[in-house]
Amino acid sequence: MKKKWISAISGLAVGVLASAVFFGDFSPKQPTSTASAKTNAEKVYVPFGKKDEYYLFASGGHSGQLFVYGVPSLRRIRTVPVFSLDSATGYGWDEHSKKMLGGYTWGDLHHPAFSETNGEYDGKYLFATDVANSRAAVLDLKTFTVKDIISVPNTSGPHCAAFVTENTEYLFLPTRFAVPLGNKYESLDDYSTKYRGVMSAVTFDEKAQKLHIAYQVALPPWSYDLSDAGKKISKDWAVITTYNTEEATTNLEINASKEDRDFIVLFNWKELEKMVKEGKYDIVDGQKVIFPEKQKGGIYLVPVAKSPHGVDVTPDGKRFIASGKLAPLLTVFSFEKAFKAIENKDFAGERNGIPILKYESVVEREVNPENALGPLHTQFDDKGMAYTTMFISSEVVKWDPNTGEVLDRVPVQYSPGHSVAAEGDTVSPDGKYLVSLNKLAKDSYLSVGPSHPESMQLIDISGKMEVIQSAPVDPEPHYGQMIKADKIKTINVYPKDESNPDAVYNQKDARIVRKGNEVHVYGIAMRSKFIFDAKAKRPDVIEVNEGDKVFVHLTNIDRDEDITHGFAINRYNLNIEVQPGQTNTVEFVADKAGTYPIYCTNFCSALHQEMTGYLLVKPKQ
Amino acid sequence: MKKAKLSVSTAIIVSCSAFLTGASLFFPWWGMRFVAPQYPEGLDIIVYPNKLKGNIDIINGLNHYIGMKPFSEESFPELSYLPYIIGALAVFLLVVAWLRDKRLLVALVVVFAIGGLLGLYDLHRWLVDFGTNLSDDAPIKIKPFVPPVLGENRIANFVTNSYFSTGAYMIGAAFFLLILPLWKERKR
Repeated sequence: MKKKWISAISGLAVGVLASAVFFGDFSPKQPTSTASAKTNAEKVYVPFGKKDEYYLFASGGHSGQLFVYGVPSLRRIRTVPVFSLDSATGYGWDEHSKKMLGGYTWGDLHHPAFSETNGEYDGKYLFATDVANSRAAVLDLKTFTVKDIISVPNTSGPHCAAFVTENTEYLFLPTRFAVPLGNKYESLDDYSTKYRGVMSAVTFDEKAQKLHIAYQVALPPWSYDLSDAGKKISKDWAVITTYNTEEATTNLEINASKEDRDFIVLFNWKELEKMVKEGKYDIVDGQKVIFPEKQKGGIYLVPVAKSPHGVDVTPDGKRFIASGKLAPLLTVFSFEKAFKAIENKDFAGERNGIPILKYESVVEREVNPENALGPLHTQFDDKGMAYTTMFISSEVVKWDPNTGEVLDRVPVQYSPGHSVAAEGDTVSPDGKYLVSLNKLAKDSYLSVGPSHPESMQLIDISGKMEVIQSAPVDPEPHYGQMIKADKIKTINVYPKDESNPDAVYNQKDARIVRKGNEVHVYGIAMRSKFIFDAKAKRPDVIEVNEGDKVFVHLTNIDRDEDITHGFAINRYNLNIEVQPGQTNTVEFVADKAGTYPIYCTNFCSALHQEMTGYLLVKPKQ
Repeated sequence: MKKAKLSVSTAIIVSCSAFLTGASLFFPWWGMRFVAPQYPEGLDIIVYPNKLKGNIDIINGLNHYIGMKPFSEESFPELSYLPYIIGALAVFLLVVAWLRDKRLLVALVVVFAIGGLLGLYDLHRWLVDFGTNLSDDAPIKIKPFVPPVLGENRIANFVTNSYFSTGAYMIGAAFFLLILPLWKERKR
């Protein structure tokens, strides 16, 4: 009996082995073979209970916001207000965000950039710049909230930013608009002499969570478009594209497109840092400013096909690739060749006091995919292959930076600006996904009238490129950052801060303190009530005199994930939020006598509707 | 009558029991887990002989809707003296093991058993107190209830599950270790 079994099983085993030998495919498997077995719907469907594999942070452009998406589902998870007011989160009304916004009500959030450690995203912070009002911001990714915003003097429109060096030593903010130093009045006839395109080197103090301008560089009065920091062998260097080296002052569309060549600015930030240490700078508007024509070294110009948009450093740090925009051409430059040319002082003269490297001695190759028009911006995959968006021919082109060979192309709808690949600008991109950030949606979605949202398209780049998902997106993603989800470590509840004098953690300690005509409310919010004064007959009432300055310090003592409370006063035009465990302050002058209901704006519980109180403002006698 | 002396092996077993009893102080004894549609991950009350752990603030916050009194470590005076009682018991057990005195051991087993029953009764008493003394002011009126010391119950959107934990099992094992030699040496 036992023997029979053994012979049966061994017979079967031999059969399986034989069939495997004869019919099995032992050729090396493409990684795509399993992926392509899935339908596109299966590739992007993330069922409830499962989470997306990547976070995508898309700049929100002139919404002043940052949009957080999940990839591959392309579900929008969160809108984070950065440079503009947002009543949904009370951003711009509570004291902290109000001070940070500094009176500005909107911004134009361009290129977001993660903090990095050794050229990899570390998932701790995200930086972004405001082209509209020349600011820079930092978000803490533990809470997805803005911690600091600085206004950058001497500069106007840091479009060419932010780019972060390999260990977040600096984020650099070159400017799109040249202006006179100090934003003074100067005639446009004196543009070439009085105007400057100032680049700022900003440092981030992680402990204090503050941004700080270390120094500035008074570059020539050109427009600086996009930029990237070096990696590995080029880690001390950075590259930025320019246009309007014609120094035109009107009708730039025509006048800034005249010359066949513009420049890439190549600079060594270690050398600039050294100059600042040695005192080689002038103080302008309170800033240490390096003038390249006076302080030689560290900055060079590389001629490039006219009006380039993106310039991107390859993951190995050996090359930088300029996207032609107006010249339908990708130019691959070699850092090593550039370093050699600098060492040999192989210059072709100067421009505005800055040495120009010879094009031939830095260029490696020009890549011109057939009929591909308007190359804007390049990302990379895990094999170092390049993916360039073509704005005019509306496609993404995959090509090999080592050979210039075009490998694949896929149409996108329509007119991609930037694209963002999974960790695609780090020293080790992940491959797998690329999101094309398209400027036009046109007929892609249900019509909403003459103007449409923008559109994001997810491209599976693990094999032959294929668009596998599309999602509308509000105006307007310029660039994005895509990071492996497990790199971001959020908190669920704000930790207690017993040293915060404004915080109240025990509802019995809620109190209202009057100091002259200032009224300080130390209150709590909990499901489902406000307690402003625990000892009062009506603990949820704030009574003040007309003209009093009122400070409401509110602590959400529901230390429970996602139980956020809001605090709004009818007709007083204010609303703040307190996240679980958070203490927030709102200040206002009670300049309108009368009776004003207070209510919780963020739905918190079954009795949220009852979470109310009153502000009573006694009229002046 | 000559004093009955415990055997050396019994003394060792009683020492182990003493050790388990003492060590149980550092482990949770009892817990209650609350699961609701909004809390699939569950909320916990975890009771140590000297402290409460778990999501006490959140549970209090929710309980006020049904008019339950908030509870904290201060609500239970037992938490301040229980460690001493258990500690003393462990020390007495060690002394008995040292003296190898059977009568003392029997006495301690009786004390142990009575203490355990009192403890269970006390726990039940608190559950009755919190579940039945609901404020008339409660926004949500529910019938007074008594959650079981052990097992499942349903209150509004919550399913609760009460359970004994590591410390209680250690105490159980300690008690068993005392009964065992008494049984073994019953003829002597």
